[in-house]
Amino acid sequence: MTALLEARNLFKRFGGLAAVKHLSLHVDPGEALGLIGPNGAGKTTIFNLIMDELKPDSGEILFRDVDITRKPTHERVKQGIVRTYQVPRPFADMTVAANIRVGMMPDDLGSMMRHGPDLAREREIGLSVGFGDRELAMYPGELSMGDLRRLELARNLAADPKLLLLDEVFAGLTVAEIGQISDLLVAHKKQGLTYIIVSHDLRSLAPLVDRVIAISFGETIAEGSFSEVIENEAVQKAYLGN
Amino acid sequence: MARAGLRKALAGWAGFGILMCLLPLVVSTGTLRIFIFANFLAMFAMSWDILSGRTGYISFGHPFLIGIAGYTTAMLTYHLDVSLMLSIPAAVIAAMLAGTLFFVPALRTRGTYFALVTLAFMELLYGLTQVVQPKLTGGTRGLSGLPAVVSGAVPNYYLSFLVMFVIGISLWLIVRTRIGTALSAIRMDEDAVKSTGLNTTKLKLFAFMVSAAVAGVAGALYVHYLGSIAPRGIFEVNFLFTILVAALLGGAETIIGPIIGAYFLTFLLEFLRPYIPGTGRYFIYGLVALVLYYYAPKGLYGILAALLGRLKPDRPGT
Repeated sequence: MTALLEARNLFKRFGGLAAVKHLSLHVDPGEALGLIGPNGAGKTTIFNLIMDELKPDSGEILFRDVDITRKPTHERVKQGIVRTYQVPRPFADMTVAANIRVGMMPDDLGSMMRHGPDLAREREIGLSVGFGDRELAMYPGELSMGDLRRLELARNLAADPKLLLLDEVFAGLTVAEIGQISDLLVAHKKQGLTYIIVSHDLRSLAPLVDRVIAISFGETIAEGSFSEVIENEAVQKAYLGN
Repeated sequence: MARAGLRKALAGWAGFGILMCLLPLVVSTGTLRIFIFANFLAMFAMSWDILSGRTGYISFGHPFLIGIAGYTTAMLTYHLDVSLMLSIPAAVIAAMLAGTLFFVPALRTRGTYFALVTLAFMELLYGLTQVVQPKLTGGTRGLSGLPAVVSGAVPNYYLSFLVMFVIGISLWLIVRTRIGTALSAIRMDEDAVKSTGLNTTKLKLFAFMVSAAVAGVAGALYVHYLGSIAPRGIFEVNFLFTILVAALLGGAETIIGPIIGAYFLTFLLEFLRPYIPGTGRYFIYGLVALVLYYYAPKGLYGILAALLGRLKPDRPGT
């Protein structure tokens, strides 16, 4: 089976600090990959590299065996890679429904002008993440953190993703909200969605992943099933120090 | 629901159009001339709004685009006797080319830096028109005795109003589509727009081109209405601020707002003329603008829409 996404030998330096050092990883179609590591390990940088929000100094990124290393963000999204942000980034002066609308837009000015929004689909996506009609008409400023994370997921799902990059989707959420988002991910995974998830909340992460990669100082230090990685000595050292 | 809203709004436009077409029957020629200026200011303000009000790329250099168009048609007609039928379209094309020049910094800079770069464009042209080839541009004095498109207050009023009206309704229809929503999203978080799979460069270029085209049409017609062009009249901070204030006062990002703002501002300045001659009037309008921004940041459009209870249907988010 060929990997859905493969990163080869990625290297990214910020001034004197090498944030990602010759890191390689892959994720197979339908797989759920967890990315863990202490603060500053380079997890978000890896997401930024995969999305072209940062350019790697060297290395390659392949999606479905095609080299996308030089493709701009929007091209990657069109191919099916989308991400969430640690701090949700909604369009603040638009309703929840309109936020989803932007996620659904085709990258074609003619079509944007000729065809109105697909309101039924918008609502369907909203409902699928647990919003009701009341929430769809609300503005992001009126939403809780859990709702904002769901909004971001909805906007991502609107882009019809093949691979979802989830950056700390549980941060700042209540136990109930974590449960809702987890259920949502499980449901979408059953339908074939592949995702890479970064989280500090290991307990919530455990049931959601098939495989885990632990990273420290920009390098892979362990890889395997969740329990294998957690038991790994280098991982424990990285998290707890000596 | 959206269709009913559209029908109602189009009826509003039609009502506005009919009312303004009947205006010459009831007001004096002098008042009509004020309306002509208001119409031009409305076009400039809408041109600014579709770019800056929408996408958040604040242009301090709109007079640059207007000036390019103005000088193109002025020089073509003055030196080469080119017919207006050709010189005005040429001016619009020149403004759009200038717009692409404008667009280059927008690829790299945002916010204040973009505003300053565009301001520099304006200042640059101010200097260039005076010193480079003054024979062509007329130097500091500019060019005068330019041909008019139509003559007399009433024909000029109809011309300026109809062009303004067509531009207004076209822009309004454009921003009602998903393009308007996407451009607004760029103002809110451009990177997030990219991460929904939209090519923001393409979207911004669209906004720049439309804005430049409107500035071009308005600039060319304005110059022929005045019959003259000079660097001081156009590349001047006062002119720039009048455009900005009209758009912001009326309510940026709404297209209708800048029209309201332009009318309000032009008449405010005229009303103040007998009391405060000279540029002291600008002090008063600055004050009015300040008070309005503070208490009604959505502008006059926001106030009117709230009064009519229909603010939401025209916001991008619904």
